[in-house]
Amino acid sequence: MATSVAVPVQSTESDLDRAGSEEEPRNNDTEEENTQQPGPTTGPQNRLAKLPLSRIKALMKADPDVSLASQESVFIIAKATELFVEMIAKDALVYAQQGKRKTLQRKDLDNAIEAIDEFAFLEGTLDN
Amino acid sequence: MAERPEDLNLPNAVITRIIKEALPDGVNVSKEARRAISQAASVFVLYATSCANNFAMKAKRKTLNAGDVMAAMEEMEFERFLQPLREALEAYKKGQKGKKEASEQKRKDKEKKNGVDDNDKSREEEEDEEERMDEEQDAENEEEDEVEN
Repeated sequence: MATSVAVPVQSTESDLDRAGSEEEPRNNDTEEENTQQPGPTTGPQNRLAKLPLSRIKALMKADPDVSLASQESVFIIAKATELFVEMIAKDALVYAQQGKRKTLQRKDLDNAIEAIDEFAFLEGTLDN
Repeated sequence: MAERPEDLNLPNAVITRIIKEALPDGVNVSKEARRAISQAASVFVLYATSCANNFAMKAKRKTLNAGDVMAAMEEMEFERFLQPLREALEAYKKGQKGKKEASEQKRKDKEKKNGVDDNDKSREEEEDEEERMDEEQDAENEEEDEVEN
């Protein structure tokens, strides 16, 4: 594999993808022999972030103002997103329970978004 | 194909799992609610990234770092996330260190076998590895990127 002019992206890319990727196919990589095996170094790593870091990274890349992001920052955003999902699910549940339902529905989400300040950024962003 | 950034979805299975684990047993989630939460999560990533990037730019840095993301969380009024995020970051850093050492050891073993000089240490010295977001850079590194991905 040709070494590039750029800063060591190679092992970074592998680390990032190994840490988070669920769906990307693993290619033959002569430098990282242990990518295929879920060893002790990759197991716990996978459990730290449930969301694939590669997908999070792809989303971050969508912002034209973002040029570089540390691996840690991608991880933190992944983790924060997980916390966000937990939070919004629980807050929406309150509305379902008010309606004496055991099934969370779209309208419960809408109610939570409208009522809770932290979710204001979501207004108008979700498809109907 | 004009794709909105919001169209980049996070894997449904993972989102579903996170939701289920957050809610008590016996509670169901409709498909529409799940889809909306998944979309909201994507928007959250975009918003958090933009916010974090503002902090990086204010500090005249080109690289978004963990501190910027923490500052963004506060700005977005998600202070409740700060403590769990700090803990997760510590665990992550430890894991990364262990992985790097294991990877370095494997590389050294291989080089001994191949009889290659172990004089290219630049890769191992990177403390905080960076993800290049730059399209231009991506084009240059396309070959490597594809292999890695």
